[in-house]
Amino acid sequence: MKKRLRVLSLFLAVTMLVSLLAACGGSNGNSNASNNKTGTNNSSSTGNNTSGSEPEKDTITALLPPVSANYQARFADMEKEFNELYPHLTLKIEPASWEDMTQKLDTQVNAGSPPDIAYIGSASISKYANLGMLLDISNALTDEMKADFDEVPYQYMALGDAQYGLPAYMAVHSIGGNKQFLEEAGIDWKNVQQNGWTYEEFREAIKAGVVKDANGNTTRYGFVFATAGVTSKDYLSIMAKSAGLPDYFDKDLKFTYTSKNFLGLLEAIRQMIDDGSMPKELSSIDAGKRWNMFLTGQTMITGKGLASFENSARLNNEKIKANDGSAVADSIEAEYIALPVPSFNGADYVPTTVVDGYVTFRGKKEPTEEHTKNVALATYYLASGKVAANANNELFLAPITKSARTAELVEVYERNEDNVKADEIMMSHALPNRTDIPTELAAEAIKIETEVIIPKLQALLAGEITPQDMYDAVKAAAVKSFGEDGVVVD
Amino acid sequence: MNQTLATKRRIKIKGDSAWGYAFIAIALVVFSLFTAYPVISAFIISLQEYRPLGSTYVGLENFKDSFASELFWKAVKNTAVYTILTVPVNIFLAFIVSILILPFKKRTQTVFKAIYYLPAVASGVALAVVWLWIFDPLKSGIANQLISMLGIGNQNWLGSSSTAMFSLVLMSWLSSHGTAIIIYLAALLGIDKSYYEAADIDGANFFQKLWFIVIPFLKPTTLFLLVTGVIGSFQVFQNAYLMTGGGPDHATTMVGLLIFNNAFTYFEFGQAAAQSLVLAFIIAIISFIQFKFFGNDVEY
Repeated sequence: MKKRLRVLSLFLAVTMLVSLLAACGGSNGNSNASNNKTGTNNSSSTGNNTSGSEPEKDTITALLPPVSANYQARFADMEKEFNELYPHLTLKIEPASWEDMTQKLDTQVNAGSPPDIAYIGSASISKYANLGMLLDISNALTDEMKADFDEVPYQYMALGDAQYGLPAYMAVHSIGGNKQFLEEAGIDWKNVQQNGWTYEEFREAIKAGVVKDANGNTTRYGFVFATAGVTSKDYLSIMAKSAGLPDYFDKDLKFTYTSKNFLGLLEAIRQMIDDGSMPKELSSIDAGKRWNMFLTGQTMITGKGLASFENSARLNNEKIKANDGSAVADSIEAEYIALPVPSFNGADYVPTTVVDGYVTFRGKKEPTEEHTKNVALATYYLASGKVAANANNELFLAPITKSARTAELVEVYERNEDNVKADEIMMSHALPNRTDIPTELAAEAIKIETEVIIPKLQALLAGEITPQDMYDAVKAAAVKSFGEDGVVVD
Repeated sequence: MNQTLATKRRIKIKGDSAWGYAFIAIALVVFSLFTAYPVISAFIISLQEYRPLGSTYVGLENFKDSFASELFWKAVKNTAVYTILTVPVNIFLAFIVSILILPFKKRTQTVFKAIYYLPAVASGVALAVVWLWIFDPLKSGIANQLISMLGIGNQNWLGSSSTAMFSLVLMSWLSSHGTAIIIYLAALLGIDKSYYEAADIDGANFFQKLWFIVIPFLKPTTLFLLVTGVIGSFQVFQNAYLMTGGGPDHATTMVGLLIFNNAFTYFEFGQAAAQSLVLAFIIAIISFIQFKFFGNDVEY
């Protein structure tokens, strides 16, 4: 009896250990399927498909976040349709939340077993390219596929001569105003939408938008931009684009944030707070808070703005009208008007264009030509036609492929025509992506951004350092990283 | 002769001790895989420039870079300040609460223990969201409304260098004392009643009993809480990550957060591993000092 109990205990303990190890050691089935297939192709089938024989079966894995409202709900249909188009291929989509996306992908990348395709921003391409973990699909894409895409967004997924995926959309990061408040402040918003505005004009406009109560307390600010934590990076980079600093590096690959234009921009950023047009607590206002401030009438203009915000405001307005309790607490009816950011230092307006898309990865094993071709097919399927059309439509964004423009939409949304025109005008100023910046320089710039620029900007917004202090700190860090000859001096 | 010994050993292993070895083998495998291997692996990675497709050996470069980094030392300083401000106060608060709970009946004690332990069960992320709401920088924020009653103006709690660290410290002071309270209560209940009775006969008051009976008896418990508290505090990451992201101007960047950023933001796993080993060394030194100076007359 005693012996039996011992054997049973040992069996249970070993079972526990084995299950623990199995749970920790195994990567998900998707990756295994993909990697095994890649390995098999590598050893036996490269080039076989060109000889006319039956194409080998392959599995392509994709890690995709909830890009738009109904995007993830269509995954099963997408997998099925892709398999119908290419019967020898299986598309396995792993859904991820936005919160988990980066961490999940980074863990997989650093373990050497990423998915074949992941939906991320084009700005992250250099980070992964620096690790050597991206898959160049330029030779696997047909001319027809390439020609389907608009040129500017297509370039955003390239680095040097390599094409590391395909874009899903291109959006402009703008700002947005409450129509009623803009008109009360005497702002000709239609003219601004069409012709833009300078910082000086913008400064006066947001001053006019400030409302105070009888005690002198501000009840409505002229402008509130989310700057808490990482969003401060957005604030600075969006404004810098139109301040003569469209990128961290100029055409000679010299770091640009050491120029006097940067100092001018920092002075303007501080001025708007000192004027009382922006809250002095700006450095703690996150994306949710500033949108709440917009909907509750605590600010006239908010940033950053996306085309889909028009829909968010419209939906809230409908809830208010219907006395729906799920409307934002204390919110008022607000018509969202898309506006361009002002231009600083006499520079031209340059919008911040954001391109997100399907980036292609490789694992530890060298991918075969056939697998690369299959990954390209899956990437193209996701980034074009019906899939792209419906995702873009739900985000209020114009398609960037010919096939998506003609694709059938599941639902049609109401749009403000003035905003549509304004978006088109802003988009027309978009600059092509820089593909000439070496990954090492880009990585160093990101390090300066995270370790110096963002922390100092937070201190500047909190009124703890002057614009000159911040400028000096950034310049010192840049000179340390790139040398005296590697930075712009004016 | 040798053959006989070997036979005896085999027999011994086949006996009761074989079962013992079998059972500790499981714990040993788990320990080797999830504790020993990561530590050895961290040491190896700390000497490399890590890349998924093949790392390169760089010697002590990652250690040199860390020691030369102003940000690393600032993070060490921030972590030390946070530890000094939180650990003693947290131990003191747990001690006071335990003393206040002690006179109650067992059932009431359990209720209080459960209430105080509740934050430890709740998700740290959920707690951080509540605290972000409390530290709302605008006038509508709870903390700002409270201080406005004292005539103090709006504070940018998490956005200003002068208040960001204090905000994290305040958050620590007002949450998660449950474990320490439970440990203190267990120790308080372990003190023999005869000591209190003898003190009563001698006419000792509450504070004299506290000073001459309770505190000396709780010294091993206090040392345990101090050592584990300092270790935990030096590894603090979650609050800074969720509440301030290390800002403003690195005012709340702790070593744990810096290591996380190096590993998962910049993919500098070599440097992150080097810094984590340096942190482990610092913690070991501090723990040694604590045992050396406070543990002389402590018996376990």
